[in-house]
Amino acid sequence: MYRGTSNPPHEWRRRRTPIAKIRYLALLLSPLLLAFLAPSAQAQGYPNKPLKLVIPYAPGGALDYIGRVMAQYLGETIGQTVVAENRPGAGGISGTDSVARSAPDGYTIVIMDPAIVINPTLQPSVPYDLFKQIEAVSFISSSPEVVVVAPQLPVKTMAELVAYGKANPGKMNFGSAGIGTTPHLAAELFLQRTGVTATHVPYKTIGQSFPDMMAGKIHFSFSSIAGALAFTKDNRVRAIATTGLKRSPVYPDLPTVDEALLKGYEIDLWLGIFAPAGLPADVRTKLNASLNQALTKPELIAAFEKVGAVPRGTDPAQSAALLKSEFDKWKKIIVDGNIKAEN
Amino acid sequence: MDALANLALGFGVALTLQNIAYCFIGVFLGTVVGVLPGIGPVTTVAMLLPISFTLSPVSAMIMLAGIYYGAQYGGSTTAILVNIPGEASSVVTTIDGHQMARQGRAGPALGIAAIGSFFAGCAATLLICVAAPPLAAIALEFGPAEYFSLMVCGLIAAVVLARGSVVKAIGMVVLGLLLGLAGTDVNSGIRRFTFGYTGLADGIEFVALSMAIYGIGEIVYNLEQKAAQADVMSRIGRVWPAWEDIRICIPSILRGTVLGSLLGVLPGGGALLAAFGAYTLEKKVAKPPRNFGNGDIRGVAAPESANNAGAQTSFIPMLTLGIPSNPTMAMMIGALMIHGISPGPRVMTERPELFWGLVASMWVGNLMLVILNLPLVGMWVKLLRIPYRMLFPAIIGFCCVGAFTVNSNMFDVLVMAFFAVFGYLCLKLECEPAPLILGFVLGPLMEENMRRALLISRGDPRVFVEEPISLAFLIAAVGLLLVVAAPAIRMKREEVLKE
Amino acid sequence: MTIRAPKDFWSGLMFLAFAAVALLSARGYSLGSAGKMGPGYFPLLLGLVLALIGAILVARSFVIQGERVGRLSVLPLMVVVLGVCLFAFSIETLGLVVALVAVTVVSALASWKDFRLREAALLAAALAAFAVGVFVYGLRLPLPVWPAL
Repeated sequence: MYRGTSNPPHEWRRRRTPIAKIRYLALLLSPLLLAFLAPSAQAQGYPNKPLKLVIPYAPGGALDYIGRVMAQYLGETIGQTVVAENRPGAGGISGTDSVARSAPDGYTIVIMDPAIVINPTLQPSVPYDLFKQIEAVSFISSSPEVVVVAPQLPVKTMAELVAYGKANPGKMNFGSAGIGTTPHLAAELFLQRTGVTATHVPYKTIGQSFPDMMAGKIHFSFSSIAGALAFTKDNRVRAIATTGLKRSPVYPDLPTVDEALLKGYEIDLWLGIFAPAGLPADVRTKLNASLNQALTKPELIAAFEKVGAVPRGTDPAQSAALLKSEFDKWKKIIVDGNIKAEN
Repeated sequence: MDALANLALGFGVALTLQNIAYCFIGVFLGTVVGVLPGIGPVTTVAMLLPISFTLSPVSAMIMLAGIYYGAQYGGSTTAILVNIPGEASSVVTTIDGHQMARQGRAGPALGIAAIGSFFAGCAATLLICVAAPPLAAIALEFGPAEYFSLMVCGLIAAVVLARGSVVKAIGMVVLGLLLGLAGTDVNSGIRRFTFGYTGLADGIEFVALSMAIYGIGEIVYNLEQKAAQADVMSRIGRVWPAWEDIRICIPSILRGTVLGSLLGVLPGGGALLAAFGAYTLEKKVAKPPRNFGNGDIRGVAAPESANNAGAQTSFIPMLTLGIPSNPTMAMMIGALMIHGISPGPRVMTERPELFWGLVASMWVGNLMLVILNLPLVGMWVKLLRIPYRMLFPAIIGFCCVGAFTVNSNMFDVLVMAFFAVFGYLCLKLECEPAPLILGFVLGPLMEENMRRALLISRGDPRVFVEEPISLAFLIAAVGLLLVVAAPAIRMKREEVLKE
Repeated sequence: MTIRAPKDFWSGLMFLAFAAVALLSARGYSLGSAGKMGPGYFPLLLGLVLALIGAILVARSFVIQGERVGRLSVLPLMVVVLGVCLFAFSIETLGLVVALVAVTVVSALASWKDFRLREAALLAAALAAFAVGVFVYGLRLPLPVWPAL
């Protein structure tokens, strides 16, 4: 059906191993080295000390992984250590807020997913103003979601899913990673556009919903590729489509929802690098250029591919425009679906 | 035999010099972070993930797994010596373990914990070899209804666990459940009991709560009994458990191992329930019942065996189904995926060297832990010789650092300060904290699964009795309730009559 | 009416207080229906059960005989809590060393009878050095070590 992602990456790792080890050692020793180098380094321009990349989720997920990979390669292109730091809490709000409140000097940045534009609409109290206190430095990756269905379900295409839903109104359940998360809202948009009805069953993470899907209790979900891959690989759940405008390299045989059923349906699980608003112009330029340069490295591209993500850089103007359009797009789904963080 | 051939393959992988080295690094680091209060295996695995990317998948998994079970092991050391449970699963160890330490029997307590853990680790490793696929199938049978009923059963067991008044114990369980509900509700997305603090959006931090009650509250309480305290803590006694101690612990270790292995397979509160369950079981069946709660060595042996067995078998659903049973396992899945391996039923057939190598390394790791820790027992015990007036500010300092580092959030430290007062009051009022902790951990899971089960059944409560596994747990719960209620009622009548 | 079991009485009051807070702050959460149970259902249920248990304990304390509550050592408790709060408010701005020294020295005062300034200062210094070595350099936890300038 589709090709796994396991074959190419081992090559690059073996090649890179000694360097990576040295790099890690350097990272370990960097505080010591810095103590010696600090006076002379101060004279130079940005960046003259390590950068901090805040990862606003707990360790272990796809965002955490991409964040760590990004920190490593950004460090190479910007010429300074970039320390990845987990600052989990409140669905990413805590970590994002800590960055929003720090100095706009380019030394503190944060990696975030669409939750950064969803939270202000969904949550009654977000402590920062997305457009006044935060600026998008660059978007860095793009990844579709994958539509998966329970193996017991006689459904192999999007059209059959809709037909099944219409034939069994109100009988289907769909899983998500919680209220207002991308799997929830992507499914919600699907329901809105097709008129199918189904009950939303939220889980803490999308991964927790798969055992119930294998048992046929949950009928479908719009999962992140990273979450679904282990289960779709050996057909314990069935993948039927992806949600990008182009097919995913992870599932090249699967049609997109756009081509199979709903013209213009696109859910992008992008990731971006954000900073406190008001970066000095030269800092912004340097940071953006270094990020985009890192995104062209073959090793980084291979590393991203393992969790189904494709590097996608943007210049500062595109970043700002994309932030606004994504905000509007998700807001519309939330408002149309009358989704609130209370009921 | 297949299992033997597999095991031979596994040992072939695990006993290469390189893998022995990574196994050692893992268990050593695990022991260290287990002993230090606050930081646990999750943090450590997270920090080592970048290194693990540069290793082969087998070496990476061996090292990360070593951190996990090494930390379980180290956690019991802190629980026994300074009464701070490093993880939820070592909460019960504090009950009898710390009492033993105060009676000058810290050495035997640590020794029996090591022996019990080693035995349980070996047995669980064998169990994984023989029964991984069928056990994984059991875990898959667990839907929301089954989980809910399991939790009900576990909470009732917590009441059995309590030392003093049953009414107070029920109160503490219920209060624990309520405290556990604080934070963002999974089903509706609203924040409950956060009083407007973003710091509470993910609930009360477990580490902060348990260190507040067991660490700080207990310290203030101890300072009152200072005269007696200083004397007791400096009496060290023998370091090794006597043969008599080991002999009476053998049945407890066996029971703990069996219970731990079975419950460890279940995602969710498995390992925690295993430790609590094993302790409850001991209290009910161990003969003679003697003095549980006042430093009975079997009260250390059983839960320590259970949580180590559980830690081992919790790898089964992770490896064979790709379903994490706790946050550390979730990170291991992340690590595997990054190596291009999707955990699932096919891992065993497609990457036998990984699966069996990891299983065999657990045995090697357990052996290392014993070798590493038994000599250390003497050293740890000497720690108690430090005068209490110097020990207690150090413990408070470590609790602060520990509470802060979990989320790098000072709010958690303030939460700890608040619950320190609460913990002290509980001690003064003789309200047992162990049932509260169990309720705290299980509360949100229980609510979540109950609401999920009803959501899927469209509000039909019969799901809980129609599923056979769920029904069995509910029946067990009722049975337990009767066991608890009967003597309690009798006792109360006696008390009233005494008037 | 005399309180015969003070420990039960005060435990009961403590449970009642928690139940009151829970019920009061949960009154805004919707109860939902059986099929779609709202976020308010469980808190309401638990709050009522806790209140009931609290009431039983209080009522019972007038009937059955029980132990007295020992004297509360309010001052040591407050000193320790103050130390912990000092740590909380200084760790982010003043760094690990200052915060740790503050909490150790202040909480050592909780047992003021055998408090020795020099000993406490030495202990604090040793602890800070150990913590910086293990947590910051050894385990590479992201902790600020010195006051931010």
